[in-house]
Amino acid sequence: MKVMITLILLLILSSGAFAQTMEDRLNTLEQTLKKQEQTIQQLKVLQETLQKQEQAIEEQRKLIEELKAAAKQPQPAAPPAAAEIKQPAATEQMQQQVQELKEKVDQVVEAQKKVVPSVFNPAIGFVGETIFSYNSKNSQQTGSSQPGGFSVLQRSVELNAAASVDPFARGYVVINATVDPTTGEANAGVEEAAIVTTSLPWNLTVKGGRFFGEFGRLSYIHDHELPFVNRPLVLDQYVGGESKTDGVQVNYLLPISHYVSLTAGAGTQFGDTPNSVGDFRSASNLNYWGRASTYFDLTPNISFEPGLSGMWNPNTLSLGGPQIQPNGNIFNSSVFNERQRRMVGADITFAYRPLRNNQFKSLTWGTEVLYSNNRYDVLSPDGALSTQTVPSYGLYSYLAYKLSREWTVGTMFEWVENLYNNEARTSAYSGWVTWAVSHWNQLRLQYTHTNNNAATGLQPNDAVYLQWAWIIGSHAHGWQER
Amino acid sequence: MRPKLFLLFIMILLIGLCTGALPAHAAKIRVVTTLTDLADFARAVGGNLVEVNSLATGVEDTHGVPMKPSFVPMMNRADLLILVGFECEHAFLPALIEASKNPRIQRDREGYVDASKGITPLGAPTSTDHSAGDVHPYGDPHYMLDPVLAKTAVQNIYKAFATFAPQYEAEFTRNRDAYLARLDAKIAEWEKEAKPLKGKKFVSYHEHWPYFAARFGMDYFGTIELRPGIDPTARHIEELIASMKVEHVPIVVREPQFPEKVPKRIAEQTRAKLIILPIMPGGVPNTETYIKMMDYIVQTMVTAAEGRK
Repeated sequence: MKVMITLILLLILSSGAFAQTMEDRLNTLEQTLKKQEQTIQQLKVLQETLQKQEQAIEEQRKLIEELKAAAKQPQPAAPPAAAEIKQPAATEQMQQQVQELKEKVDQVVEAQKKVVPSVFNPAIGFVGETIFSYNSKNSQQTGSSQPGGFSVLQRSVELNAAASVDPFARGYVVINATVDPTTGEANAGVEEAAIVTTSLPWNLTVKGGRFFGEFGRLSYIHDHELPFVNRPLVLDQYVGGESKTDGVQVNYLLPISHYVSLTAGAGTQFGDTPNSVGDFRSASNLNYWGRASTYFDLTPNISFEPGLSGMWNPNTLSLGGPQIQPNGNIFNSSVFNERQRRMVGADITFAYRPLRNNQFKSLTWGTEVLYSNNRYDVLSPDGALSTQTVPSYGLYSYLAYKLSREWTVGTMFEWVENLYNNEARTSAYSGWVTWAVSHWNQLRLQYTHTNNNAATGLQPNDAVYLQWAWIIGSHAHGWQER
Repeated sequence: MRPKLFLLFIMILLIGLCTGALPAHAAKIRVVTTLTDLADFARAVGGNLVEVNSLATGVEDTHGVPMKPSFVPMMNRADLLILVGFECEHAFLPALIEASKNPRIQRDREGYVDASKGITPLGAPTSTDHSAGDVHPYGDPHYMLDPVLAKTAVQNIYKAFATFAPQYEAEFTRNRDAYLARLDAKIAEWEKEAKPLKGKKFVSYHEHWPYFAARFGMDYFGTIELRPGIDPTARHIEELIASMKVEHVPIVVREPQFPEKVPKRIAEQTRAKLIILPIMPGGVPNTETYIKMMDYIVQTMVTAAEGRK
């Protein structure tokens, strides 16, 4: 009995499975039938078109016969006005369509001819940036490499090229020439030349070559892309200008629904001043940096983006120069060497960018605070060698308000303690107005007042800058410009 | 007891094997679109099989969608990225795609769906020199404002879905056919309703409307912008006003993401009707779908052309 029940159950289930299989087959057949119906429909449409064309050709043939017959008849004596030949409407329409199609094909062919010669070229663009300035004090009083009074500096003459290397990476190059303020000669150099992966698994991107390492918010932005004329004092002094490095950097996007980005890198330099190499570079002579950042949409129009950065060079030799110790002693470079470079930073950016007209209105507040705690070997006047750390702080905070597509106004406060002498302090206040004549042509007028305390040995300075930046050729909107 | 349990086990096993022959309900296809019209089409074709997110909300300029880091995780998980094409999204999409670290949706990969395939663009420039403004090198990308061309985008989305998930092709086909049937009916309705627009001249802030104008027989007189992406100069505004007066241009279109001041002044001085028209669903209230948006655009244009309020 139990065996019978089992067999019956098996039969029922099997029939269910069989029915299911049959249902699948029926579905497949139905789909095939539908496809065939579609094909038949398409063929019918084609057939109708062919019939219309045959009809038009027949009408043309009749017209030709009529014309031939008319040509054989005797011509009237008086030359009449040219006889109007009425063409069938369908033929006229077809001729018009053929003509329109021919014009379109010609356009495409012409466009192809224009593309062919440069088909392998990368996207190439060129940036020019000139700074007209007036400083109230001379360079000795300001500590600047720029002379006081009137100056015209061709700060950036920058050639950019970018393209895909292959399906797995893209490459880009930035060659920049800056005019030496003392000699007036333009010195060209490779500012960036790197390869970036585009298809790695596990949410990774690797960048290698020469590039600006991801530290803070503005260190890896080119000068002409800054929201003001000059790089903040703290970035100039602590980072060394742009965070230029020769190395490798890995970025990881956390696989979660909230944006968190982690970056870590290593390179032979960090900033504009290369490390002194010596005979052998060990791992402790390399520079290491990292950044963690996240992002919040506080409202659809208001965002908050914080980040934390760190940089460490365990064993470095600075090129130096005369240094002033906290106690006022002055040493030559050979006896005051930067032994270890350590820096951490925190940055926040609040932005109001209304979705409806963000190209015409926005308000951005950006602030970055850096803490440097470098370690130095110090040789005191009595010949004793010691190691000292000099903790120094610096910050900048700016507010930029976009009034319209063309006009932006802004203001910034900066404050920095000298890297080697934290009692030497400088602060600065700036205000500017930017006129974006177009996306590729921008003028910025900025006033900056700089205060130096006595420990710096420098004088307060008033400066006016007129920056003119322009772009020709290709210009990509990079991620750092968000 | 044990034989009964054994039987029960066999029954469950057999049921399990049989249900294995039934189509499994897979996880939804994750689709990210750049603009809201594409999102509407994707939902219409994909139905319950897709989860669709749009980078734009509908109120933005199509060239000014912000590069928000909050888009990145969504794009990182996307199976398909659908874009308008013709470099419409060049200001924000390339950087977002790279930041997403999603190999599937990198340019020209299997998940990168260009909705403009098969569309011949209007206004392909002979030069991309910046003296012509921020031109689109492959032609005007605003073809979605022509509902006939929008059908091609629907078809491209359908093909992408069917290629990605062929086991659901039948359902995608049903959904596509149903939507296109609705759209065809609306196109016939719009063409009938838009007869008063034939030959009517109009200006707009940005060059969004050549496809719309071609479809409904309007005369696209010019733009308030000096060139694409370049704000008008005082001279350009005066010249435009003068020529609009001579040619009796009756309509000024302001897209909602552009400022009101200059279009209002031009309309007042030329006695033209100033209307606000969205360029994608959600651009103004009650235009959440593509059909509702086109309903609104056609009705508003016709009302303006007939001089009605």
